[in-house]
Amino acid sequence: MSAALNLFLNQLLNGLTIGMVYALIALGYTMVYGVIGLINFAHGEVFMVGAYLALTAIWLAASFFPGIPFGLTLLFLILFSMAGASILGALIEKIAYRPLRRSPKLTALITSIGVSFFLQNAVMLIYGSKEQSIPDIVPMTRLKIGAISVSLIQILIFSVSIGLMFFLTWFVKNTKTGKAMRAVSENPEAAQLVGISPNRIIAATFILGSALAAVGGSLFALNYGSINFHDGYLAGLKAFTAAVFGGIGSIPGAMVGGILLGVFEGLGAGYISSEWKDVFAFLLLGAVLLFKPSGIMGNNVSEKV
Amino acid sequence: MLALFPLLDRNAYHLDLATGVGIYVILAMGLNVVVGFAGLLNLGYAAFFAIGAYVYALLSLHAHTPFWIGLPISGVVAMGFGFVIGLPAIRVRGDYLAITTLGFGEIVRIAFNNLSAWTGGPNGLLGIERPKIWAPTWKGHFGFELISFGVSALPYFYLVLVLIAVIAFFLFRLMDSKFGRALVAIREDELAASCMGIPVVQIKLCAFGISSFIAGLAGCVFAAKQTIVTPDSFDFILSVLILAMVVLGGMGNIWGAALGAVVLGFLPEILREFAAYRMLIFGVLMILVMIFRPQGILGGQLIRRELTRPIKEGS
Amino acid sequence: MSKKAVFFLLFSSVFFFCGFEDKKETISVGAAAPLTGPQAYIGIGMMQGAQMAVEDANVKGPVFGNTKLSLVAVDDQSNPTQAVLMANKLIADPQVVGVIGHFNSSCTKPASTIYHEGRMAQITPASTNPEISRQGFDTFFRICATDDVQAPAAARFAAKELGVKKIAIIDDKTTYGVGLATVFEKEFKALGGTVLSHDGITQGEKDFAPLLAKVQSLGPELVYFGGVYPEMALLVRQAKKMGLEALWMGGDGIFDVTLIKLITPPLATGIYATMLGVDPHSIPEARDFVTRYEARYGEIGSFSAYGYEAMNVLIEAIRRAGKNDRQAVLAQIKAMKDYPGILGVINFDKNGDAIGKSVGVYKVEDGKFVFLQEAKA
Repeated sequence: MSAALNLFLNQLLNGLTIGMVYALIALGYTMVYGVIGLINFAHGEVFMVGAYLALTAIWLAASFFPGIPFGLTLLFLILFSMAGASILGALIEKIAYRPLRRSPKLTALITSIGVSFFLQNAVMLIYGSKEQSIPDIVPMTRLKIGAISVSLIQILIFSVSIGLMFFLTWFVKNTKTGKAMRAVSENPEAAQLVGISPNRIIAATFILGSALAAVGGSLFALNYGSINFHDGYLAGLKAFTAAVFGGIGSIPGAMVGGILLGVFEGLGAGYISSEWKDVFAFLLLGAVLLFKPSGIMGNNVSEKV
Repeated sequence: MLALFPLLDRNAYHLDLATGVGIYVILAMGLNVVVGFAGLLNLGYAAFFAIGAYVYALLSLHAHTPFWIGLPISGVVAMGFGFVIGLPAIRVRGDYLAITTLGFGEIVRIAFNNLSAWTGGPNGLLGIERPKIWAPTWKGHFGFELISFGVSALPYFYLVLVLIAVIAFFLFRLMDSKFGRALVAIREDELAASCMGIPVVQIKLCAFGISSFIAGLAGCVFAAKQTIVTPDSFDFILSVLILAMVVLGGMGNIWGAALGAVVLGFLPEILREFAAYRMLIFGVLMILVMIFRPQGILGGQLIRRELTRPIKEGS
Repeated sequence: MSKKAVFFLLFSSVFFFCGFEDKKETISVGAAAPLTGPQAYIGIGMMQGAQMAVEDANVKGPVFGNTKLSLVAVDDQSNPTQAVLMANKLIADPQVVGVIGHFNSSCTKPASTIYHEGRMAQITPASTNPEISRQGFDTFFRICATDDVQAPAAARFAAKELGVKKIAIIDDKTTYGVGLATVFEKEFKALGGTVLSHDGITQGEKDFAPLLAKVQSLGPELVYFGGVYPEMALLVRQAKKMGLEALWMGGDGIFDVTLIKLITPPLATGIYATMLGVDPHSIPEARDFVTRYEARYGEIGSFSAYGYEAMNVLIEAIRRAGKNDRQAVLAQIKAMKDYPGILGVINFDKNGDAIGKSVGVYKVEDGKFVFLQEAKA
């Protein structure tokens, strides 16, 4: 295989890796927007908290069960991070958004900014303002698939993300809660009339979205090997872009939007200029909004959550 | 009364701080035109502020343009960008304007960071000229001399104060005009307004342009005061902070926006004694104010009426 | 609410802070460094050095008459705009007679304009960019070597000692990073080497995989980074995970134990760095300071001794000036001859740069920087 093709595949792989993480965060933005029409700016911070929880889980695992296989540590850190972030998501909704259910969207937007400031600074106070190094718990082996080499952590990111996306699609389609989410997003009053409690469903949406963001945060931390308290901001912004790109409110849209954004960014950074990659992301968004304002999958009303 | 502040408090740092807050006040009043009066969300307001600052910086460094000529040029260039960004976005749903402006804000910041040959990249542009004025002097005989503002914040404080007064006067007149009533009509019910024959897109675009112009002016003053502009002074957090000032003070109220800017501008300083906890407390206060006073500190009657209605899809 | 009431609110909130004015008769020295943000670790180390110099001076007795010294520490967050704001704050304070700082060249340079306007002496313990002293400001002094010494030494080491032919260069686009990388590139080419690529990155960025994949495809033997340790750590770690087989090298900005902690010692092994001067542990004159510092704060930071040294020069000038007068202090620094510092004798040239300052080449082994050789201009 030629070196040029090899490089291309490598760049594609890099893009897909970060795209998967974007997709996991974007799902939370899109679900919350679908249900209550709020741009939850604090969602990027939930992702960041998820990454720190993963780090905490690694510390805990290392001090209480030294020498356990990395697979178990991995499972523990993901579950730990999901659980912590779910609680956080529920709390944010209850404290910062529920009292404002009948206020204009902008008011809730400001509280979400307040939550964002709070979480960033709380994490900074707890873990320090320094970049935190994440121990390499996943072995650094590389697998040859055809001519390209994939790291174990990349395989992990792909399998976990894709698995979660399938689960979420199934959950929204088939479970009672999932159906209720769709109902609330279609018409909250009508949903209430048929006996759905919007508050419970909205809380469930926040919990689900936060758990997914936490997984994204854990994978992000493991992949880059370090984490900082402002990492939530840019990742959140990108994921939000991905959600709009895919069509805000649409679950498959967020997945496709996230992955495409990652690939677009990876290829742009690899072939044009790595300094301008964030610009590519936002230009892409602008172009989509100009030519297809509802986002690439925005017409998919039946899947709206 | 405010003009007396420097006489009562001679601490140079407080004066500097007050001047910085004054620039926030200008920005908040400017953003209020779009967010409060027109009901449009702009999440990239810092970009217009940045454009104003860089325009004056470049004019000053390359053409030695005096501040007083640079000031209107900065405003007009920022307004030009406002039209370019606003035109496609305003036609579609409100949320899209928010996202387009957000993207624009990031693009502008990154562009200033990467176009090192023109903007100095992350190191910024330094050596921007300070404003100069003809001041009366006495050297044996009475005369006038061109003197620079210098290092002290005092002249900047008065400059900002004058600008605030001019902008506030202009905005009050504007809101009492036909244009102002059309804006409010659009915010309250766009469909009804357009049925009444109000040219919705033009009016919205106009509001967007005025708002960008004010940000450009603020940027020019900021650049002249700092004598340095760097891209990271204009990040997304700043856009968000100004928006928070408008909403906190009370959307659609000119003095409300100014008050929001004063409160949020001084709060981190007041909280300084809490040291590491101050931004944490800042966040909590933002949440609490919104929960207990969703219409903002000085929320107007008009807005309050609007608040009693539940949110409608696609507003 | 009436307009009058609004005015009152605006007014009273402004007045919230009145009455905090400081009227003590002590004389102050300023010190500016990043105390928060990603580079805080290195900045705090520098500040602790400066703090110890002030305390040492006060233990010895009043600097003149009955005056004691106090330190005004300001945080520039490694941000040029913040640096200018803080410089303004320092010159606005009539008690401050001189300043040491800043750490980053991109902060030192714009701030030097302000100190020059305020006629206040500025001694940088750490900013190595040569351009800063060429601005013609008589208020600017530097006690460390510049990148005109550091980058050629690094290039010579790479070409001659390591025998590297093909390299890739990355910089962080700051005054420091670009300056260092550019001089390195020029010198390396002059020695007959090939520079395959020279890319810029943005500080605070996290994902360097696309850039590194590109660099990997070019097959360099060494990657030189002009920048500071937080980004270096990410670059090296991601490169190693990706399987990029190349040596890594950087300047004094990456010389901090935090770098090794972030990359983890096994992966950091083999990184080369140039650092100003030699290890303070190995200098007899510095031993007392190093021992006291480490007893108080733990392991010495890369620039702690430089912070201490710069502050000592400033304090000596104040002592000689004998009054609270910026101009007199400035004149005393200019007139200083053969100042016996803990890191060597200091003499300033006409630009304010210390004469004859060397750099050392280091390599990471077993989780620490090991001294290899010294290089002079």
